[in-house]
Amino acid sequence: MSIADQDRDDLLLRRAGKGDEEAFTHLYRRHQAALYRFALRMTGSAWAAEEIVQDVFMTLMRDPKKYDATRGTLGGFLYGVTRNRVLKHLERRPREISLEEKNEDGTGSGVILMEPSTPATQAEKRERVEQVRSAVLDLPAEFREAIVLCEFEEQSYEEAAQIIGCPIGTIRSRLHRGRALLMARLEMLREPRPRMSAAK
Amino acid sequence: MKCEEFEAIGLDAGRDASLTAAQRAASSEHAARCSRCAALRDSWEAARAELSVLAEDTATVEAPARVEMRLRQQFRTEHRTFNARRTAVIAAWALAAAAVLVGAVTWVKWHEGHPGATATHLPAPQSASISHAIEPDRNTAGSEKPVQNATVARHRGAARHAGSEALVADNGLSGFTLLPGVFPADTEYGEILRVRMQRGALESFGLPVNEERAGEWIQVDLLVGDDGLPQAVRLSR
Repeated sequence: MSIADQDRDDLLLRRAGKGDEEAFTHLYRRHQAALYRFALRMTGSAWAAEEIVQDVFMTLMRDPKKYDATRGTLGGFLYGVTRNRVLKHLERRPREISLEEKNEDGTGSGVILMEPSTPATQAEKRERVEQVRSAVLDLPAEFREAIVLCEFEEQSYEEAAQIIGCPIGTIRSRLHRGRALLMARLEMLREPRPRMSAAK
Repeated sequence: MKCEEFEAIGLDAGRDASLTAAQRAASSEHAARCSRCAALRDSWEAARAELSVLAEDTATVEAPARVEMRLRQQFRTEHRTFNARRTAVIAAWALAAAAVLVGAVTWVKWHEGHPGATATHLPAPQSASISHAIEPDRNTAGSEKPVQNATVARHRGAARHAGSEALVADNGLSGFTLLPGVFPADTEYGEILRVRMQRGALESFGLPVNEERAGEWIQVDLLVGDDGLPQAVRLSR
């Protein structure tokens, strides 16, 4: 039996629970990218994001009954599991930055920008992206996840509240404080750096 | 709307679906009047633009293909193990059920062949090593029919005759008296013959007879040996 794109997640999960590898693979392909991006943006580490996504789907494989279709979508459930793994990771290794992704100057994630431009503008843009990334990673985890979910993942406030498991008012409050911290940090990074030659 | 309220809800009034139209209008109006809040909103819009660049930067990233490969391998391993475990459990239950069934059938068969076996055990013969018993023929008990109507039941050795009368534990097995000149070992494989005779006829077996009652008809069990000669005698009840 082939798997149509419109097949519901819970049906696929039931089939996967009975040993249907194709159904499990389909579920993985449907959700892995969003979860990986969320984990990557939260941890700043491709290695950690990879481990987290693998762990999340391993949990789903071993205990699919943990998901209760009456309590929400499978996507929301997986986001919740991913969030828990991310927070555990952050508790263990706060602000981990994968060394192999760094550039020679200590910045850079190894992610290649898609937009073609001159080397100078590309370098400038990459530097700014890294500054923003650094500013986001400097946020406390509860503010960071609100920013990542609502600004990066473009989740609605309701969806973010469901994933985090808190009222919408809490999301709004965390966003407010997270934005204030983020703007302050970005403003600070925007200021021109003092030149070493001028100091001499 | 006050500045504190604007900071809380005004920066994202366009996206927050939980806000009412009146709240959105109030936040716009406040930003138009308050230069500080307008600057704050502009600052946030600039920050958001930078965030969107970062978001675009990672918009197309996915988990590496090796994650899927590892997961699929693990999936196969998990379900192969699960299936093997399930098969083993089913086989174990099937074996247990078969064993119970065989036991039950054996027990029923054994009971069909040994009615009342659970009631008593055959007592050891006292006068001879007789290990076989027959149920006395109740139809003829007390009747006056001659010997040819005697009920004969045979039981040879430990084997049970399939067509023989039902054997019962009979505590009347004892009471056989060996005839003079007969050894107990000779009675091991014998046939029991029930006959009616006059008491005086016992004298021909070498047994003492009360002369006054010699004419009485009695029922006697004779244990006849393989050679056809009586080995022991017992007065039937």
